[in-house]
Amino acid sequence: MTGAAQTARVASRSPRIDGDRLLTLVCVGLPLIGLLLFFLYPMAIVFLRSLTTADGSYGLGNYAEVLGSSGFWRATRHSLIMGGATTVLSVVLGFVIAHGLYRCAFRGKRVIRAVIVLPLLAPSLVQALGLIFLLGRNGLMNRFFGLEIEIYGFWGLLFANTLYALPQAVMIIGAALVLLDARTYEAAEVIGATPARQFRDLTLPAARFGILNAAFVTFTITITDFGNAAVIGGDYSVLATEIYSQVIGQRNFNMGAVVGIMLLLPTVLSYYIERQAMKRQQGQQATNAQPFVPLFAALRDLPMAGLCLAICAAIGAVIGIVVYASFVRLWPYNLSLTPRHYDITLAGGYSSLWITILISLMAAAGGTLAVFLLGIGLRRLPRALMQPIQLLAAMPAAVPGMVLGLAYILTFNSTATPLYLLYGTAALIAIVNFYHYHTQAFLTVMTGFRQLPPALEEAAGSLGAGMGRIAVNIIAPFVAPMLVSVFFFLFMRSMVTLSAVVFLTTPHLSVAAVTIMRLDDAGLTSQAAAFSTCVMGVVCIALLGMKALLAYLGRRSAREKAD
Amino acid sequence: MYLTVRNATKTYGTFTALDDVSISIEQGEFVCLLGPSGCGKTTLLRLIAGLTDLDAGEICLENETLSALPARKRGFGIVFQSYSLFPNMTVAENIGYGLKIRHVPADKIAARVRELLELIKLPYLADNLPGQLSGGQQQRIALARAIAVDPRVLLLDEPLSALDAKVRADLRSEIRQLQRALGIPTLMVTHDQEEALALADKIICMNHGTVVQAGSPEELYHRPATRFVADFMGISNLIGTAVIRDVQPDLLSNRPDGTDDAYVACIRPEQIALTPDNNGPATVRSIGFLGNLRRIDLDSPFGPLVVETHGSIDCREGQSVQLTITPEACTWVANDDAGGAA
Repeated sequence: MTGAAQTARVASRSPRIDGDRLLTLVCVGLPLIGLLLFFLYPMAIVFLRSLTTADGSYGLGNYAEVLGSSGFWRATRHSLIMGGATTVLSVVLGFVIAHGLYRCAFRGKRVIRAVIVLPLLAPSLVQALGLIFLLGRNGLMNRFFGLEIEIYGFWGLLFANTLYALPQAVMIIGAALVLLDARTYEAAEVIGATPARQFRDLTLPAARFGILNAAFVTFTITITDFGNAAVIGGDYSVLATEIYSQVIGQRNFNMGAVVGIMLLLPTVLSYYIERQAMKRQQGQQATNAQPFVPLFAALRDLPMAGLCLAICAAIGAVIGIVVYASFVRLWPYNLSLTPRHYDITLAGGYSSLWITILISLMAAAGGTLAVFLLGIGLRRLPRALMQPIQLLAAMPAAVPGMVLGLAYILTFNSTATPLYLLYGTAALIAIVNFYHYHTQAFLTVMTGFRQLPPALEEAAGSLGAGMGRIAVNIIAPFVAPMLVSVFFFLFMRSMVTLSAVVFLTTPHLSVAAVTIMRLDDAGLTSQAAAFSTCVMGVVCIALLGMKALLAYLGRRSAREKAD
Repeated sequence: MYLTVRNATKTYGTFTALDDVSISIEQGEFVCLLGPSGCGKTTLLRLIAGLTDLDAGEICLENETLSALPARKRGFGIVFQSYSLFPNMTVAENIGYGLKIRHVPADKIAARVRELLELIKLPYLADNLPGQLSGGQQQRIALARAIAVDPRVLLLDEPLSALDAKVRADLRSEIRQLQRALGIPTLMVTHDQEEALALADKIICMNHGTVVQAGSPEELYHRPATRFVADFMGISNLIGTAVIRDVQPDLLSNRPDGTDDAYVACIRPEQIALTPDNNGPATVRSIGFLGNLRRIDLDSPFGPLVVETHGSIDCREGQSVQLTITPEACTWVANDDAGGAA
């Protein structure tokens, strides 16, 4: 209120208010136009196309046809079973690791933390590739133990999906576990609760929302993931591969749109419930919490350490074997090492890697700027305007990448609008990547803005600084760590994502994850491994760069505080 | 002796948190551990609770040695500064939790919880979750939770520090009444000397991991053993031996033997009498009005002095005054805190 009053007072003396208004308009307007044009509009198109029948009229004919086909129901059933099984497995394993990390005392937690994020640094189909090298027909296990494991299909896909979903489950459950501080446990201890009771009465209830949240997130990740299903799913068709075969295989865009809308329903529902659960959890956050420091208890910690290490060993083995196999001369017959698979023989060679780096940089830079502008602009908007925009900005997370990609091809591959000019350009792929991960980027920046004390801005405003100056001098340095995180998050996701871009690549423009899939399709598995290793290398460098930059920013702000 | 700690020592790396500390608590006694932050008072409380292990020394309750007993088997109650209620349990479930663990029948638990909620004057909150309550309410419930199991010792770790001034004063007197009514031996950690003076039967004043002085609030206030205690327990005028010898040698009469540096004189501000006198040796520098009393800063032959008087006194800033200090008003304290103005 004081801020508004001040603005009004300043307005009577100077034309600044107009400048600020204009800046607010630009800050909100540009990102908003982006959201409308590159998210809402394509989503409307995909919806319309799902209602467009073969003769060009509108109707529910496509739905009737899809719902009447046994293939769709089989894929739906498979998707739900796979989603459910993966959710159970990754939440259980995720809880074990999160509990080990935050509630047990043993060495090597840094290793576990490092290994657990590995699947996030690779395209999702790398888990599938690794499993094939390990357990496939020519895998190490079958070869050396004379087994006959059949990895393609349900079990292979289950393991690949679990590995892919596990990092998220660990992070979400871990965040819930650290909510309970040390004093709460000590109070229970002094009251007389045994460690087992403390686990049952404190830890489990505290983790409840985290577990629920993790379950919805892993379910969504699993049913929307395309990479693993494409590589290791075999005959086990799921909705994501069903969309792909409708669109790419049969060029049946409208039917693909219908399946896409069907895939959208459970993810929207699950996203909504997840957001509600998050709100409940945030309400419980304690102030001045003392972090819990577990003391060593052999009976609890030794088995937990063993379990955590075993899970991490599995993740490490699956990812590591891809790197190893990329250097093996002839898998699995001649295990001597050679760099020859790094000579990519598929048309285009490494060009798709370079273009992916370029695309990722564009998505990261443009995306970070867009969410930053939106964040600044939203602070100046009245609540009635702010809330619908916030809702819109948080929506893309509910849309599976496959559906967004399909929406893009339907929208931008149509010559009806000038937007057609974007089709087949790297810019469009950068745009789809940004809007695919818009929600996470937006929420991260908003979290940063929430920590900005309003008094700081008001003080600067009352000293006569305009909105632009405040944004550059006050807000940007304060939210810099968030912006760095957002930039690298968008970069790393853009490097590895497959589902949204799979429809947007053309014979002249491919991205890294699609190249890996094509190499694998062509039977050049070792080259697929080599290409994957290169992608992981780039992402790892980006991750280290982010850590270094964040550490630098942290040191700088610590120094400023000390001065 | 009900609870005794003998020769307790605790180090964290090179930092000695407790250095050969011995204390005791009588049955029904309210004891305050008082000292600045980092003096070891919280470490001592946590050792007694069993939340931290001793390096050396011994803790006994009546004739039972506690040192090897885990915290959950000691039968104590504890209240932390941060309330630390169980966030997923209602107020009633929080208070009844200790009884539930002890397999008390549900109807007995319900009755006991009702009784305690009456006692802390919050009977209407039974079904609320802690997150919805104010700090003062949460801390009352934490207190009820701690005493629900009839603890053998009640441990309070700065229970009032996180509360607003008004709530703090209310809860302070409630804690005192409860403790008196129930007769539970209580050990409270605080860095607030006023709180300690108001609550304690016995104050244990600590500094640098050792006990500096233990005794009744009156003892610590009027007969501090050391300069540190005199300084920590309210305002005091600390005057060096040489100055006293020059200005008013009769105050030396009760001084223990020792070098000039070994002891300093401690004179409480309310024990100095002032009379306006144009030929008086001291001058009023400033007068602070504190409602029930006035705090007057003087320039005197002793150096700067603080004097507190009740009621009105006829003097202005710049006025000359006569000082009256009786030898009884002067306590000689060991100069443990060498350096600084005396």
